Amino acid sequence: MAEKSRSKRLMTIGGLIFLALGIILYFAKEPMGLNRKIYDLPIFLIIIGVCSALKGYMSKDKTEEEAALAGKTFAEFLTNNAILLAMLVLVVVICILQPRFMQIRVALDILTQSSTKLIMALGICFTLLIAGTDLSAGRMVGLAAVISASMMQTATYANRFFPDLPQVAVWMPIIIAIIACMVFGALNGFLVAKYDMHPFIATLAVQVIIYGACSLYFDMPPNNSQPIGGIRPDFAQLGQMRLFSGIYRGFPGISILIPIAVVICVIIWFILNKTVFGKNVYAIGGNREAAVVAGINVFRNIMGIFILASCLYGIAGVLEAARTAGATNNYGNGYELDAIAACVVGGVSLNGGIGKVGGIIMGVLIFTIIQYGLQFINVSPMWQQVIKGVIIAVAVAIDLTKYRRK
Amino acid sequence: MEEVIFLRKVFVTALILVLAFASCSFADGVKIGSCIYRFSDAFMLRFRNAMSSESTKEGAELVLADSQNDQATQDSQVDEFIANGVNVLIINPVDRMKSQSIIDKAKSADIPVVFINREPPASILSTYSKAYYVGAKAEESGIEAGEIIAAYFKSHPEADKNKDGKLQFVMLRGENGHQDMILRSRYSVEAISKAGIPPVEIAGAIANWDKLQAMNIMNAFIMSIGPENIEAVIANNDEMALGAVEALKANDYNKGSAEMYIPVVGVDANASALDAMDRGEMLGTVLNDADGQGAAAVKLAVMLAKGQDVSKEVTDGKYIWIPYQKIARGEKK
Amino acid sequence: MLEMKNITKTFPGVKALDNVNLNVRPGTVHALMGENGAGKSTLMKCLFGIYEPDGGEIFLEGKKAEIHSARQAMDKGIAMVHQELHPIRFRSVMENVYLGRFPGHFGVVDHKAMYEKTKALFEDLELDVDPLALAGEQSAAILQMMEIARAVDMKAKIIILDEPTSSLSDREVDHLFKIINRLRAQGVAFVYISHKMKEILEISDEITVMRDGTYVGTWPVTDSNGEKLTIDFIIKQMVGREMTNQFPVREGKPSEEVVLKVENVCSTARKSFQNVSFELHRQEILGIGGLVGAQRTEFVEALFGLRGIASGTITLNGKTYVNKSPGFAKSRGLALLTEERRATGIFGILPILENTVIAHQKHYAHFGVLNDSRRRADADTECKKLNVKTPSLNTLIQNLSGGNQQKVLIARWLLTNSDILILDEPTRGIDVGAKYEIYNIMLEQIAQGKSIIMISSEMPELMGMSDRIMVMCEGRVTGFLNKGEYTQEKIMALATQFAGRKDTSAA
Repeated sequence: MAEKSRSKRLMTIGGLIFLALGIILYFAKEPMGLNRKIYDLPIFLIIIGVCSALKGYMSKDKTEEEAALAGKTFAEFLTNNAILLAMLVLVVVICILQPRFMQIRVALDILTQSSTKLIMALGICFTLLIAGTDLSAGRMVGLAAVISASMMQTATYANRFFPDLPQVAVWMPIIIAIIACMVFGALNGFLVAKYDMHPFIATLAVQVIIYGACSLYFDMPPNNSQPIGGIRPDFAQLGQMRLFSGIYRGFPGISILIPIAVVICVIIWFILNKTVFGKNVYAIGGNREAAVVAGINVFRNIMGIFILASCLYGIAGVLEAARTAGATNNYGNGYELDAIAACVVGGVSLNGGIGKVGGIIMGVLIFTIIQYGLQFINVSPMWQQVIKGVIIAVAVAIDLTKYRRK
Repeated sequence: MEEVIFLRKVFVTALILVLAFASCSFADGVKIGSCIYRFSDAFMLRFRNAMSSESTKEGAELVLADSQNDQATQDSQVDEFIANGVNVLIINPVDRMKSQSIIDKAKSADIPVVFINREPPASILSTYSKAYYVGAKAEESGIEAGEIIAAYFKSHPEADKNKDGKLQFVMLRGENGHQDMILRSRYSVEAISKAGIPPVEIAGAIANWDKLQAMNIMNAFIMSIGPENIEAVIANNDEMALGAVEALKANDYNKGSAEMYIPVVGVDANASALDAMDRGEMLGTVLNDADGQGAAAVKLAVMLAKGQDVSKEVTDGKYIWIPYQKIARGEKK
Repeated sequence: MLEMKNITKTFPGVKALDNVNLNVRPGTVHALMGENGAGKSTLMKCLFGIYEPDGGEIFLEGKKAEIHSARQAMDKGIAMVHQELHPIRFRSVMENVYLGRFPGHFGVVDHKAMYEKTKALFEDLELDVDPLALAGEQSAAILQMMEIARAVDMKAKIIILDEPTSSLSDREVDHLFKIINRLRAQGVAFVYISHKMKEILEISDEITVMRDGTYVGTWPVTDSNGEKLTIDFIIKQMVGREMTNQFPVREGKPSEEVVLKVENVCSTARKSFQNVSFELHRQEILGIGGLVGAQRTEFVEALFGLRGIASGTITLNGKTYVNKSPGFAKSRGLALLTEERRATGIFGILPILENTVIAHQKHYAHFGVLNDSRRRADADTECKKLNVKTPSLNTLIQNLSGGNQQKVLIARWLLTNSDILILDEPTRGIDVGAKYEIYNIMLEQIAQGKSIIMISSEMPELMGMSDRIMVMCEGRVTGFLNKGEYTQEKIMALATQFAGRKDTSAA
């Protein structure tokens, strides 16, 4: 009993210390001339402090059994959170090398860049949960980006994709793009569910088909494979709009992508945890044969999984097109591997049946922070690749030892 | 089982028909076989469109193949072309250092070969009298991009934000090891220093010709270096330049205010870049004249196929150089 | 020989072993008994280095032994023959015997030596198997012998047999016992884990009983006065109470109403069931008897929509029934408890809650959105009713014992309120106490007006629970027996009416 209340108290007190330190620094930085040395560090400290203190204060008293479960040794804590800790160390190192990293706008930028990746990862997690995979995800992003961008050009742009297309409502091309993705998603699902094809090979085939189809579309005269540009501002706003900007001096605003990603996270969490479909996904992933015996319509559910996933890729593709105000058929190339890696780092089992939305959010954030951070201190791209690979290998190794623990 | 056999029969018949049709269409006139290193490359796309329209004009038959960025694929495509009896080859090598094998194949079949876009080393090109190269001098695009920046600096003294007389710039590079990436990066910097402004690269990264990557990387640079410390952005192509522009715009730069402006230059002069220049978001670009190069390559190939004398068309017996065109803001043609 | 002292092992939330002792003398067969979940397997896994015990010591031949991996255990002369064998199916028998220790030099395998050695080993064990035959083509009995041969070749001093006879015929059991006796005479000690009392009294010298992770006691099978232990005594030690009856009393009789009528149903597979016809009455338990390969499982799976039916008619509650899919079967009031609990029953990595409600999910949903509290409440009542022993509904089902897993699966189908329960080997691999509970559940369901089809390979269970027994052989129904006329002999006679033999006897 003493043990857990101590950890609780430790958390609360630690949080309050952070909070106090943050407030002191906040007021001290101007007079002490630290502005250019610590940037927004005080605000980060305050946020961390408040969260930690609240968590320590609010957390329920654990029952005897849960306490036994939580009674981990320090070494176990280290292995369980190795990637997270490595990331924290990296963040501290980056902050020392380049104090500019401690800016609110950097944090917001990381969240913005994570948003579309997260939406994709949430789609791909469904296919991983049934012990499958989806290699067509990245190409679907490209397809959605090209289709939506091609119909969203300004009337005066010199190189319009459809020269005679009127200025249609923004939602129309978006819906068309997403539906196009869902058609291919249905093809994925059909191949997997109907012919019992391994998702690896089914989605590989569909990936190639999508890229070919997208390139054909992209190559249609008069565009002839020119990068699509001249994007209408109202469409670009979907990816570039900033909320609450200038709420105080220098606040860059919150990218619209962040709330979009949050809403989608909530929806996916709801689907996975509160709907028949979500439960069926876990069941099919946990034991497909048993799911059949329990009377679950596996065909319909697998179709649903791939269609829902492709819908999310479609959304991600449209948002990428809007954010960059352009598109080429090469958009999204290789994204699926990043998304799968982020899912795995976030604790989604490739053997199916295990995975949580919270873990996926963590996985994507860890990946983006590390990538962004390395770029921030100008680490060579070759080294970035090496580090990324090591992270994936270590994360999966740790994950597997967790399940194999004696 | 019977179904399978039937399907196989249908398939085989269809294949024979297609082959027969294909060989018929090759029956007369000049047949050009052309390999493009990768169809999805935007610049090569324009290049091959120019080639198509030029060959229609010339009444020649042009067959294009996508080498999918793989030299081995390209080699076998060349074999196929030769087997199909083309009169002349136009090759955009995947790896310019490995073009010897293509030359050997063409030589043994006694077919002229015109290389485009990626220049084989002179030592390789000289091994075959009927091997030619049509392209632009890659260093020229770099030089011109550098000159656009240098000219802007001289006419806008406020562009030197820290007043140190030097030019602090960010470089966004193309695919690692690509000839254009190496030459454009090197000569743009050289041109700036030749103009009398010492260049300082404060940050550089490989963005693989890609708008999205360039945008994310530029964002990180803006955060880590601070936009107030960046005096120019030099990108190896327009897509990356536009990515940088999007990142700048997201940080309220290049939106019209003279104070919040960082000059960005690219290469290619694609439609989006010209559009961005119209809106004052991008400083300039260099037109790599795909249309001119494509047309010239086909023209040369047709002449070679017909056995005409080409000595007046080429320089040094082997080369046709198509110049780049500078396009800066306000000077757009 | 082997002494395990005060072994303790704790899993999150469960104390699996609490100061357990085991003392095996050389040249004896030591039976380890207990209900499922009593901790026998955990204890053996501790011995074998698969688990690290939290406390206690292991002595081998008087010396303290540190065992941290299966490899170390093998090096110390401990071998284990698992209940479920996983041979490398596409390699030869001899390669399986010498897996991991191929004879040879510098990494080059000497196939000839391996062949000779395997042949000698097999001859010694009176095993007539070609060492070059593929392991995947061998019967379970031969695979088991192969494992024992492997242990013998490794000069194992202690061989652990985990449920060795669960899939063996009587003749194969005799052969196994012969070999055990011979090795015992040579000084090899056996730890013999089984639920089959008769076998244990026949083969073992000493018995150690465990209950709920604790050590109950050790007794010699034949005491100094030459008196043998009785089955009742052992059961009493295992369950901690007197087991007066193996089966609960069946009250009432099946009604006359026919709920399911099956006529001339044939499988789409040529070698599977053919021309199956029977009637199932309301409140009846219809037992299906037969040997392995009688196609009983295939038939009930087809009925439930998991396999194809080529011809025949099925009438369910007066309406024609087509075996479209399991989902359809469910909607028409059928439920199937499959034979392979692990492979086709449980969702191991999901909590008990999900495992309980999975077949009844739609009932809790409004437009696909689930009502969590109702799910939980129903699962809770159902699991409590069936006396599922678990710390909470959030426990993963894979952490439960076999009996409790089976109860959860039954709870799953009871929730769907099905009319007809099809139970395929409902008590396989389950301890005595849980068996009795499951029988009680079956009778309760009958009393509520349900009907049951039960496949069982255990004669006492078949005879003790069924109102009527249908016997199958090679996919054909060979006869029905009514309550009161059952004997093991009659059932066996019907179960062995092979088509070929019948012809010869008629001639």
